[in-house]
Amino acid sequence: MRSFEKKDMKAGVLAILICAMFICVGFSGCTQQQQQGNPEIKNPTTYVRYDIGEPKTLDPAEAYDSASCDEVFNIYDQLVTYHGNDTKTIYPALATNWTVGSDQETWTFHLRQGVKFSNGDPFNASDVKYSLDRVLTMNSPDSGVAWILSQCMDLNSTTILDPYTVQIKLKNTYGGFLALMAFSVASIVDKKIVEANGGVIANTDNEWMKEHAIGTGPYTLDHWTHNSEIVLKKNDLYWGGWSGNHVDTVVVKTADEASTRILALNSGDADFAYIPYENLVDIKNKTGVLIFNAPSYNVVLGLFNTKSENTFMANKDVRKALSYVFNYQSAIDDAFNGYLFPLPGSIPKGMPYYETQNNGVPVYNHNLAKAAELLNASGYTQTTKFKGNYYRFNNTAIRLWYNSGNAERQKMALSFQQDLASIGINSVVSTESWPQYLNRLYNTIDWDFMFLGWMPDYNDPDDYVAPFVGSAANGGDTFHTGWANATVDQMINRAKFNVSSQIRSDSYATAFNIYINDPSLIYIGQESYTRGMRTWLQGYSYNPCIEYYYYNYYKAYK
Amino acid sequence: MKTWEYIVRRLLLLIPVLIGVTIITFTVSHVIPADPARAFAGGPKAQPETIARIRAELHLDKPLWEQYFYYLNDLIHLNLGKSFLEERPVATALAQYFPATFELTIFAMIIAVPFGIIGGIISAIRQNKLSDHITRIIAIVGYSLPIFWLALMLQYVFAYQIPIFPLEGRLSAGMTSPTTFTGFYVLDSIFSGNGATLLSSLHHLVLPAFTLGFATLAIILRMMRSSMLEVMGSDYIRTARAKGLSERTVIYKHALRNAMIPTITVTGLSFGGLLSGAVLTETIFNWPGMGRFAAHAVLGLDFNAVMGFTLLVAIIYVIANLIVDILYAVVDPRVKLGGG
Repeated sequence: MRSFEKKDMKAGVLAILICAMFICVGFSGCTQQQQQGNPEIKNPTTYVRYDIGEPKTLDPAEAYDSASCDEVFNIYDQLVTYHGNDTKTIYPALATNWTVGSDQETWTFHLRQGVKFSNGDPFNASDVKYSLDRVLTMNSPDSGVAWILSQCMDLNSTTILDPYTVQIKLKNTYGGFLALMAFSVASIVDKKIVEANGGVIANTDNEWMKEHAIGTGPYTLDHWTHNSEIVLKKNDLYWGGWSGNHVDTVVVKTADEASTRILALNSGDADFAYIPYENLVDIKNKTGVLIFNAPSYNVVLGLFNTKSENTFMANKDVRKALSYVFNYQSAIDDAFNGYLFPLPGSIPKGMPYYETQNNGVPVYNHNLAKAAELLNASGYTQTTKFKGNYYRFNNTAIRLWYNSGNAERQKMALSFQQDLASIGINSVVSTESWPQYLNRLYNTIDWDFMFLGWMPDYNDPDDYVAPFVGSAANGGDTFHTGWANATVDQMINRAKFNVSSQIRSDSYATAFNIYINDPSLIYIGQESYTRGMRTWLQGYSYNPCIEYYYYNYYKAYK
Repeated sequence: MKTWEYIVRRLLLLIPVLIGVTIITFTVSHVIPADPARAFAGGPKAQPETIARIRAELHLDKPLWEQYFYYLNDLIHLNLGKSFLEERPVATALAQYFPATFELTIFAMIIAVPFGIIGGIISAIRQNKLSDHITRIIAIVGYSLPIFWLALMLQYVFAYQIPIFPLEGRLSAGMTSPTTFTGFYVLDSIFSGNGATLLSSLHHLVLPAFTLGFATLAIILRMMRSSMLEVMGSDYIRTARAKGLSERTVIYKHALRNAMIPTITVTGLSFGGLLSGAVLTETIFNWPGMGRFAAHAVLGLDFNAVMGFTLLVAIIYVIANLIVDILYAVVDPRVKLGGG
């Protein structure tokens, strides 16, 4: 018995010591001391980004999701491009200069000479014609991205004038044409390689091009392991050259779990990572980590269903009142933790003609008194008694929806519900998965208000105004609100089919003054592009049109 | 019944099982009111032609029973369809993800089975001693700890605070995977003579395999302990001791074989369960396996992927159960396969 007790004692003490060690190590993270000096740079010539979602394809004629386009922009070049965080100026890329004819439809591009694809094949005008025609012919069935070019181009548009001159005659003037040419769909592919690997078949995606990429851009594809990582290596034949500071290798990892991305960033395994707003606190003040944020073109919207069975939703004064009920500041502060900017109308800040929207000042603000005034004047008074309170609309509940898993929309929905109740409007907040949510929005009228967002295709207001407030008959009403106004349609088309800045500006201003006073949308805000990054990462700048341009990045301490 | 006849009969029974599984899964996934075509086509940015094409490809415009027969027809021709979320054939996706999960599972079982069995034996033969208490605590901790918590803690402690293991993935960032022979990075590294990827793949396996293995270890340990205790109290064990046999012989030659049978059941089912993919572990450790693939498919209503995954899991479970039954016969000669 005595020896057993001694053995027990020793084993017990040992067990306690081991547990204590784990506890101490675990809690040491909570009280981590600031390291002195800058941490040693990990993987000095490799840029590592941790993100959610992975590319669907590397074929520029098919790529439409942001993850795919991110890599396409770094493997391929377009005729024109953007630089740094400048969204106003279009710069030369594979085209060194260009002109537009007096008809506003004929564009002539003079191409850069001496450029090679990463496999050594020379680049010339035939690759440009092939690439653009390929998009139109292939008409990607998987993504539908071809519409971006086909809205103003067809197979007769592109002509080769000489090996380094291409002419594009649009089928109609398009004010945002150069912006289209800077988008990933207008990337230039190697005709020889594509022809050797499946060629172009009408209305059919090229399976080889989905997972292979030969471009003129600064990087080439090294390997792509689905749901794991995609790795790019520097293209030694890149026409921009490699003098100066550039990373040699790019690793983009797909990591669904936020904690993994946070730990990777904090440890230096990641140079750049997507961190959800509510988790930014986990990287704040960490040694060697900073939070980057800038206005993106991603907008947050509330949609009104003017075709709802609740016919009061068709009344513009009701929708104006609801626009005053919504608490925009709460959305910014509580739902988005401060990472949301006010949005006055359809055009986000940074995009041309933003100032045509009340000079960037939102028309609506959180004003319950104003909301009540509008509703009372419209005859929707608080007359229905229910459980001791008086409600409007015969106590009919407004159906508010958000898609499950979206924490920001959930918070906004619940806040909206509270504010509606305070002025006597009953509401029901419901949620469902994304595919079901889309089904409800597009295939039913069984909703009154939903939250949605929009991201840019290219840097032109036509990409926002037309789908948001154009009528369905005019190719708009993307959100199925059922709203339409003939004058707004007229203004949208006027701006679309014109290259004159003045005409476009006047058109968008006129359209704004109409649709903001008969709102089909609540313009909640413009998202901040917020990411965590290591302080050793240099050369990074955010451009909503080209999210990542790895060629500019390098790792060093300033 | 001969063993091979039993195996063939069990494999043939797989067919009605799979049909049943497809009917149930197909019906449940397709009756949800949702618009997967639009979701696949890009949500609000989806072009009408693209949506229409996807709907036609998935036969969503047809009655449910007709959609099912289209699916069955494809299945008979060994076509699992296309994953719209990944835009590649489901078979190709499964061929990549299944070896990743299988490799992880094997290593998890390498941790769980020997330690679980040995721990169970020790616990049983030293009942109510300190070693029994410690192993029982380990078992309780093992199956009580939420697996995601264990994964996060291991990651935090051993990949971040004391960075002796990698944070995530199958290989170091940027490392090219070995030439594919089997899809198992460890084996493929050996076959291709690539020492760097062999070391990296083994290094990356430690934390996720331990996470998965620990819970399974706990289950096996408890089962082994309780079945050993039951067997050790049997008359024939008392007789064996009375005959003067060594304790080692009594335990390992007489008691263990009988005590193994329930443990084999639990081990087989655990193996099958792990092979169907551990979503949480794979998500936290960014392991590109079946669990993550299935989770994405379910959340995105990627019908073909859901069906393909479910079919594969059904096959895995049937084969796992078959192996368990055969092992019964091996361990216990009294067991006759087929009941004959």
